[in-house]
Amino acid sequence: MRVLFLVALLGGAIFYAYIAFMDLNFMTRTGRLGPGFFPRVIGVSGIVITLLAIFEELRNKQLQEGSAEQWREFGFLVALALCYAVLLRLFGGYVATALFLVVTLAHLNRGRLMQNLLIAVLVPVGIYFLFDKVLNASMPPALFALPI
Amino acid sequence: MDIFSDLVMGLSVAITPINMLYLLIGALVGMVVGVIPGFGPSAGLAILLPVTFGMDPIGAIMMLAAIYYGAMYGGTITSILLNTPGESATVASTFDGFPLAKNGRAGPALVMQAAASFVGGTVGVILITILAPLFSQVSRSFGPPEYFLLAVMGMLTLIMMIGTNWKLGVISALIGFALGTVGVDLETGQGRYTFGSAELIGGIYFIPIAIGLFGLGELFFAFYCGLHKTGTGSIVQYDKEERFWPTAQDWISTKFTMVRGSILGFVVGVIPGAGATIASLMAYSMERSLSPTPEKFGKGEMAGLVAPETANNAASSGAMIPLLTLGIPGSASTAVLLAAFLLWGLRPGPLFMQQNPELAWGLIASMYLGNMALLAINIFAIPLFVQLIKVPYRVLGPIVVVICAMGTFSVHASFVETYLMFAAGIVGFFMRLYGFSPAALVLALVLGPLAEEALRQTLTISRGSFMIFVERTPSLWIIAVTIALVVLLPLLGRMGSRAKKVEQAGG
Repeated sequence: MRVLFLVALLGGAIFYAYIAFMDLNFMTRTGRLGPGFFPRVIGVSGIVITLLAIFEELRNKQLQEGSAEQWREFGFLVALALCYAVLLRLFGGYVATALFLVVTLAHLNRGRLMQNLLIAVLVPVGIYFLFDKVLNASMPPALFALPI
Repeated sequence: MDIFSDLVMGLSVAITPINMLYLLIGALVGMVVGVIPGFGPSAGLAILLPVTFGMDPIGAIMMLAAIYYGAMYGGTITSILLNTPGESATVASTFDGFPLAKNGRAGPALVMQAAASFVGGTVGVILITILAPLFSQVSRSFGPPEYFLLAVMGMLTLIMMIGTNWKLGVISALIGFALGTVGVDLETGQGRYTFGSAELIGGIYFIPIAIGLFGLGELFFAFYCGLHKTGTGSIVQYDKEERFWPTAQDWISTKFTMVRGSILGFVVGVIPGAGATIASLMAYSMERSLSPTPEKFGKGEMAGLVAPETANNAASSGAMIPLLTLGIPGSASTAVLLAAFLLWGLRPGPLFMQQNPELAWGLIASMYLGNMALLAINIFAIPLFVQLIKVPYRVLGPIVVVICAMGTFSVHASFVETYLMFAAGIVGFFMRLYGFSPAALVLALVLGPLAEEALRQTLTISRGSFMIFVERTPSLWIIAVTIALVVLLPLLGRMGSRAKKVEQAGG
């Protein structure tokens, strides 16, 4: 699996270097270092070192992988976090936070309904007071305001 | 005495009721962040940075600094009671801290770690007070060539100390450098990697990346490791013990340990890229090799807990020196602190102490007070933190996700940055899982633009000749120190990792 991650990074490095060589100048017209100098150095060294790491990885692949259950737990939390990111855009900070907490805690903290509901209500309220009232910071506004 | 009057002036700035309140909040938050496994000072600073926006600069900086050094105090509580270090800088404290607790001496261990942290932190601040003005004097002769070399030195030492696989460390740093080049090139005005997007013209913003990597990424990793399923049942019950306070013997046998640990920790902390984790491991192995009874180490020797604790606190003070006098962060957490300074329109560097004496000395003075507050909190609020350790991770986790998201959004009210934070969280998880270094990425993201600008200025001064680096005395010195570090650090690192291995083998 680490190989896949490294290959993805290699792809990124090649793309990065490609733009550095195609779009950005190495030197400016006055003979100074241009905007492309650093990106070219970074891009080329990135490709070289990622390739080295990939070869090394292919030579000794004894890296043990996590169990399916570990990946399930991770995937579950990531999926919920991403849903939360989308919900934030749609329903705004308070509603999205409460929904996210109810669903996530229902799975993680199973069987303690009252405790979960209490957290899901109190956390957005606490955030509202901290950010909106005390710190005067903005909260994610709702695209579709719920009628509550 | 100049320093003395400066310090008194700093105290007068720091001691106002509202600033004291911020300092206390910072110290408490730092402790809490330190106690939560997986979260160190960098995560705490990044997540809470947005919270300080409504404050005045001095209060905000004092509070953030208190979070930074407070985390070093908090991390040890779980090391002692649970054998789980709250963060990497307190790994060495588990070697003897947990055996002490198992032998029924958890109370004395907790008190001694608070005292050791206090000594380390305070010696560190005293050394800052004496050395920071001197360093500013020296660094005033620094020009772009020296800044470029210092940035290179910081990256080199950090990558060398990552240890396991240097290639992955370099790749992490390169990702950071690459992200740092996004945005309009300040010299030519040409856009780089913006792809016509208005959001990217100003570059990739630092805070979402730091919150994502250190906050969300660590959280995902903790869930992957199953931390939310393990209870805290194995916590050592210290309140049933007969003696809570350390004996006179504990103090007498560790008095030189504290001095040695503090000085070693501070020196290691000053070196860009080295930091508290290495300092604590080095102090531990130094103490064992100096001890007349090295066989007792790892079985509950007080000196084995005191040494790493003084060292990691002194190191986090030491790391403030390059930050304040050069404007160059040596670690991920000082990089976040630098970002905080910059957000307030403050540019740390050689002239910082001259141009902003109230702020600089106010901050230094506040660190004396902060360490005292932390000592008191540490001893008297231990039951409170034990309660906090008992809050299950499965409840804490979702709340951390919420705080990361809200914190990121509140900076610029930008959904793009919030999504960037989530993306950085997922990338951060894979980096942690596959042995990459999120800290190197974040440091490179901050140092990259600094280094690029410095290099281009250097070559403009020298009309394109690289010889300028060996023609200037300060830059020659920096090159010499860098070479010395490159030669010496692997040896020291081996010393630290040997200590780790011996402990693991010995139980």
